[in-house]
Amino acid sequence: MSVYFPHKKLPYLLLLPQLVITFIFFLWPAEQAFEQAFYQEDPFGLSRTFIGLDNFISLFSDPIYYESMLVTLVFSFSVAFLGLSIALWLAVMADRVIHGKLAYQTMLIWPYAVAPVLAGVLWWILFDPSMGPVALWLKYLGVNWDHYLNGDQAMILVVISATWKQISYNFLFFLAGLQAVPRSLIEAASIDGATPFKRFWTIVFPLLSPTTFFLLVVNLVYAFFDTFGVIDATTQGGPGVSTATMVYKVFSDGFIGLDLGGSAAQSVVLMFLVGIMTVIQFRYIERKVEY
Amino acid sequence: MIENRPWLTFVSHLSLLFGIALVALPVWVALVASTHPTSAFGAGHIPLWFGDQALQNWGSVLFDNAGSGVDVPVWYMMLNSLIMALGITIGKILISLLSAYAIVYFRFPFRHLCFWVIFITLMLPVEVRIVPTYEVVANLNMLNSYAGLTLPLIASATATFLFRQCFMSIPGELVEAARIDGAGPIRFFFDILLPLSRTNIAALFVIMFIYGWNQYLWPLIVTTDDAYYTLVMSIKRMLSVDNGDVEWNRVMVTTLLAMLPPIAVVVGMQKLFVKGLVDAEK
Amino acid sequence: MTDIILNKIGKTYPNGFHAIPSIDLTIKEGEFIVLVGPSGCGKSTLLRMVAGLESISQGDMMIKGQRVNEKEPADRDIAMVFQNYALYPHMTVYANMAYGLKNRGESKNVIDDKVNNVANMLGLEALLQRKPGQLSGGQRQRVAMGRAMVRDPKVFLFDEPLSNLDAKLRVQMRIEIRQLQRKLGTTTLYVTHDQVEAMTLADRLVVLSKGKAEQIGTPMELYSKPATPFVAAFIGSPSMNLLPAELNDQGIKLSEQLTLPFEHDFRGKLVWGIRPEHLEVSDENDADFAMRIQAVESLGVETLIHGVLEQSDGASTPLVVRLSGPHTPEINSLMWLTVPEHHWHIFNAETEQRLSES
Repeated sequence: MSVYFPHKKLPYLLLLPQLVITFIFFLWPAEQAFEQAFYQEDPFGLSRTFIGLDNFISLFSDPIYYESMLVTLVFSFSVAFLGLSIALWLAVMADRVIHGKLAYQTMLIWPYAVAPVLAGVLWWILFDPSMGPVALWLKYLGVNWDHYLNGDQAMILVVISATWKQISYNFLFFLAGLQAVPRSLIEAASIDGATPFKRFWTIVFPLLSPTTFFLLVVNLVYAFFDTFGVIDATTQGGPGVSTATMVYKVFSDGFIGLDLGGSAAQSVVLMFLVGIMTVIQFRYIERKVEY
Repeated sequence: MIENRPWLTFVSHLSLLFGIALVALPVWVALVASTHPTSAFGAGHIPLWFGDQALQNWGSVLFDNAGSGVDVPVWYMMLNSLIMALGITIGKILISLLSAYAIVYFRFPFRHLCFWVIFITLMLPVEVRIVPTYEVVANLNMLNSYAGLTLPLIASATATFLFRQCFMSIPGELVEAARIDGAGPIRFFFDILLPLSRTNIAALFVIMFIYGWNQYLWPLIVTTDDAYYTLVMSIKRMLSVDNGDVEWNRVMVTTLLAMLPPIAVVVGMQKLFVKGLVDAEK
Repeated sequence: MTDIILNKIGKTYPNGFHAIPSIDLTIKEGEFIVLVGPSGCGKSTLLRMVAGLESISQGDMMIKGQRVNEKEPADRDIAMVFQNYALYPHMTVYANMAYGLKNRGESKNVIDDKVNNVANMLGLEALLQRKPGQLSGGQRQRVAMGRAMVRDPKVFLFDEPLSNLDAKLRVQMRIEIRQLQRKLGTTTLYVTHDQVEAMTLADRLVVLSKGKAEQIGTPMELYSKPATPFVAAFIGSPSMNLLPAELNDQGIKLSEQLTLPFEHDFRGKLVWGIRPEHLEVSDENDADFAMRIQAVESLGVETLIHGVLEQSDGASTPLVVRLSGPHTPEINSLMWLTVPEHHWHIFNAETEQRLSES
């Protein structure tokens, strides 16, 4: 667009509120995190000493940090894969039905509105080793479920809780993507004799790939940052560190372990990672805007 | 569909019903659990059919106190949650509308710099900068206050981007026509831009309300005074007592009540919600 | 009385691009001026500079004796009709028309009177409570004009207002605009790329090319005495036949074999032109030259015959002949033509200016 108002001061006034908030609550803390990452502070905040890169060095020589990275990767990709597969299946089914599409949609999208921590609590109680119905049922099948002791089972629990909440989101986007596939293409394919199954894999799925890629990125970001509540409610990173993702560790090292320097160094590493992810996402967004 | 395959249609319906059942399962269990006395949970398993304590449990949690270590009633925390959610939502929409307006309709020095400063907030979700943000809010004496609950979550690059896109899709001739009609920037904003963006604002309102209501970590660390407890974070406090002392029936009532408002918003305003979701991620 | 004066008006964009180097134009009160030219010629930019939507880089712009260079669009007492109408989509037709008056602080009664008055004139009474989305293209066009008219401005500005309408409606609206303008007597600046629209509407035309005014004059002046080859080609449909030529002692040399006798002091390269309607069919004996027919377009009322100038050296120069009434000549046959001298248009090839009468 090439039409602007010729005012000089007004735009600054309009930007002021957002800039002030950004400075106070984003840039200042970020700067503090940077600063703190180079200091060692006693837990009461009374004194601190400059230690250069020591916080980073001890962070990257700590096997637990690498384990936390691994946990984050396993968790994120499991959530993304599971969430995308189930949502795609449901969306394809919902796209097929003629009657009650909106009712199905309504019944499937509400978990989006549930806070992650509540999702965690709901699934926890289902899987609670001493009283959860699912845990009891698993025991009946011969599986000894105890996510308090078994790290893998704890991981499965947080993945299920986090996925449950995300299915609705993926479902909506897949359904929209499916509805955008031109009917004429599907009609042409069926005239060419393709079965519904073949049609899906040769025509529909390739056309959905932009949606799928986009959802993959969004799901990974979701699993990275928005699942704090799920983990805090169900496992609190345990047993041991088997479900402590990198974001969870920033919180637990800083607030519970009171290792402020270490937590700040982790913040800086995360900011760096988010920066890269955001730039990738933004590139993608901008490209879409150009069309 | 093109051809009629009854068995495929049957499979579709079956899959969807199964999916709905799976999605609803935990809520069903929670609903059942909320109708039993606390003693029912010591027996080693959660009852699978409704008990007779529904009215007592729900009434007492809603109006007396949530229990399990939280001494304020749920309706009070609901009020806090509402204040926080509305504060975040309205705050975000207001400052984003203004900043997007400045960025799209004016040309001024440092415009790109301002844009990037706002953009950077995308890179810093509150979970990532949690410790220093807490310190800043503590320094500003905003712990245990509504300002401390809402302000740090208000800046939103997402909303600014959404409005920026929305404004850019409004034809430039409208601005010119308005200028010829004697409308300055303020008049244009209120007479033309706001009315034209109202569906976008409403859609964003739905998304942001859910985001605000569901805030967990931030209220958890800035509120220690139960006068400022929000509903979602109170769950954590209720679970922080010794494992044997958790009053599961009350926790479940609180959980369900905490879920209810945002779910009502999503279901009640489904169309706006879907639009908001799709637009926000475009 | 003069109404608008553009005195050496120029536009330079911040990136250094000279959209309009310098234009002089004096517009009389009540005159209908059409700015015409191909896309990118700067006609819209010029109009927007008059409106105040585009800043003026140099020169003075006077409206009714007042310098308005720095004035806001709303303070210039102009009204504009946009190509896509730019109606406020969330306001009713009434509110659209009233908005400018409201911003000026007119009283409710005055606004009501003016809007109803204009609505009557344009036949919009029944549509006043509708929103633009519920109107047809022609109705929107009318509302856009109504919005301009209620303000009773000193100047109307039109930016290709008919280009979004279908052909039939365009002709109808064209006539209506012309009648309204006559009736109201408001000075009007009208931008279009369509030369038919330009010729039929204008008191005077400004033909623009690359930001320069090629010629300013009445439609008939432009038709009969185009100042440059560009104007010659732009005005008239189908375009004038323009052939490269050279003037020597024998006359105008169109090719090695073909020289048309002509006397003039000028010597050198020139462009020789003749309109398709001025070529005359004749006997082989009287003919000036022959054309090999390649295609025939029969429109009933007239016939356009496309061909090439027949030359023995094989060079082929395309020509168009326009004959009234139906004709059915055979493709590939020869057509003998004469070119009456008083219909010739001769331009200096170097300066691209019309050769003065000797």
